[in-house]
Amino acid sequence: MMKSKKFWALLLALAMVLSLAACGGKDASSDKSGDAGPSAAAPEDQTSGGTGDEQKDSDSDLAYVQNKGTLVVGMTDFAPMDYRDANGNWIGFDADMASAFAESLGVKVEFQEITWDYKVMELDAKSIDCVWNGMTLNDEVKAAMDTGNAYCLNAQVLVVPADKAADFESLTSLEGLNVAVESGSAGEDAAEALGASTTAVAKQADALMEVSAGTADAAVIDLLMAGAMIGEGTNYANLTYTVNLNTAQGLESEEYGVGFRKGSDLVAAWNDFWSAAIADGSVLETGTTYGVQESLILE
Amino acid sequence: MLSFFSSTEFLTVVTALNTGFIKTLQLFFVTLVGAVPLGLVISFGSMSRIPPLRWLTKTIVWMIRGTPLVLQIIALYYVPGLKGFHIWSGGESGRFTAVAVAFVINYACYFSEIYRGGIQGVPVGQQEAGLVLGMTKRQIFFKITLLQMVKRIVPPMSNEIITLVKDTSLARVVALQEVIWMGESFMKGNQGYAGLVWPLFFTAVYYLVFSGVATILLGKLEKKLEYFR
Repeated sequence: MMKSKKFWALLLALAMVLSLAACGGKDASSDKSGDAGPSAAAPEDQTSGGTGDEQKDSDSDLAYVQNKGTLVVGMTDFAPMDYRDANGNWIGFDADMASAFAESLGVKVEFQEITWDYKVMELDAKSIDCVWNGMTLNDEVKAAMDTGNAYCLNAQVLVVPADKAADFESLTSLEGLNVAVESGSAGEDAAEALGASTTAVAKQADALMEVSAGTADAAVIDLLMAGAMIGEGTNYANLTYTVNLNTAQGLESEEYGVGFRKGSDLVAAWNDFWSAAIADGSVLETGTTYGVQESLILE
Repeated sequence: MLSFFSSTEFLTVVTALNTGFIKTLQLFFVTLVGAVPLGLVISFGSMSRIPPLRWLTKTIVWMIRGTPLVLQIIALYYVPGLKGFHIWSGGESGRFTAVAVAFVINYACYFSEIYRGGIQGVPVGQQEAGLVLGMTKRQIFFKITLLQMVKRIVPPMSNEIITLVKDTSLARVVALQEVIWMGESFMKGNQGYAGLVWPLFFTAVYYLVFSGVATILLGKLEKKLEYFR
C-alpha cells in the first residue's frame, strides 16, 4: 500500500516537471506577461492590450537597441568578414560595416562570438541583436529571421594543390575524385551534385587540412574564404582554387545578408543605412580594404 | 625545434590559450566553491525524514544526473531569454554566470550522493558512543559523523574533481571562450594565424598539468586524513 503511494507521488512529480518543460516551446505570442525585456525598453506597450501586443514589441526593436545603448552583433571568427587583428580587436568587412551601422544608430557596437548552430536562439533570446557574419541567405535563415537586402555574392570553389591545378582546369564533372567538404554546407551539396565522393568534415578549415595533408584530392569551400585563407602569404601557400562550382552547375550565386529578429524595424534601418553607404562609397572602400570588392552588390 | 618555442606564432598562441585557461580555472573554482556546500544541503534533502522533501530532492537529483550537462547549459542559458526573462547580463559575463550556475547545480547533485554514501557509511556504533557520552544530536553530527565522512569521501571526490577539470570544456557550447575554444580559433583564423591545428592539441598540456597538480594535492589530503584509521 505504502509502496504504491510513493509510486504515484513520484509519477505526479514527474508529470509536473515534464509539463513545465513543455512550456519551453515556441509559443512566444501567448506569453505576453513574460515579455519583461521589451516592455521595459518601451513602457508605453503596457497600456495597449489585446492582439496588437506582439506587433508593438517587435516595432520597438530599434528603440530597444537605442535605449540600452549597444548593438550586440553575433558573429564567428570568419576571415575576411570578421576576425581579430594582432591586437585582438575585431576587424573585417562585416565588423567595420557593423561599427558604422551602430554609429548611425547612435549606439556602441559590441561583438559577441556565438556558436553558429545556435544563432537563431541567440537572436530570439535577445543575447544578440543581429547576425552579421557572411551569412548565406538560405531557407533556414529566411524562415527564422528577417534579413536586410543581400549585400554580397558568394560561390563554392574547388580547392586543389597548386602544382596540380592544371589538371582541374575546365573540369565539368568531379566523378572519381575524393573531395573534402564541410558537413551540411552548400559546398557539400555542390560537390555531390557534380558526382564527387565526399568526405564530410566539421569545418571549412578542416577541409583545407585534408587537401594539404593529401588525404583528399580537393576541397569545396566558399569563394570568400578561399580568397582569404589560401595562396601566397597564408598557411596554405601550396593550395589554389580553380573551378567555380555554381557556374559548373548552372546555378545562381549565393547571397549574403544580415539577420534580425522577426518583425524587427532594424531591417528597415539597416537597408537605409546600406543604401547611403553604397551612395557615399564607403561600402566599396571598406570592401577593397579586405579584398572582397569583386563580390559586393553595389546597387 | 627550439626556435619554434620562441617564435611569435608560439607566443601569440600561448597568450591566447592562457586567456582561455584562466576562464577554465575560474569556472573550475567557482563550481567547487558553490557545489561542495550545496551538495551537503542536497544530501540532507535526500536523507530527510519528511517524505515529500525526500522525493522532491531525489527527483531533482535524478533529472540532473539523468540528462547531459551540455543540454543543461544550453537550456539554462537560452530558455529564460526565449520566454522573455532576460536574467543573464549581456556579453561574456552573462554567459559565464549561466554556465557556472549549471555546473554548480550539476556537480552538487553528484557530490550529494557521495556525501550520502559517506554519512550513511559511518557505523551506527559511532553515534551510539556519542549518545553514551551525553552529546547532543548536533554535536554527534558535526564532531563524529561529518568528521569521519570527510575521510571516506576524499577518493570519490578526487575522481569527480578531476572529471570537473575536463568537463569545463563543455562551456564552449554557449560560446564561453575557454581554453579549447581558444585552441580551435586558430584553425579558422585568429590574430593573423589561420589553419593551425597544433593549438587545439596543445591544450592537452594545460589539462594534464592542472589535473596532475590536483592529483598530488588530493593525494596529500588523503594522507593527512589517515590518522583516523
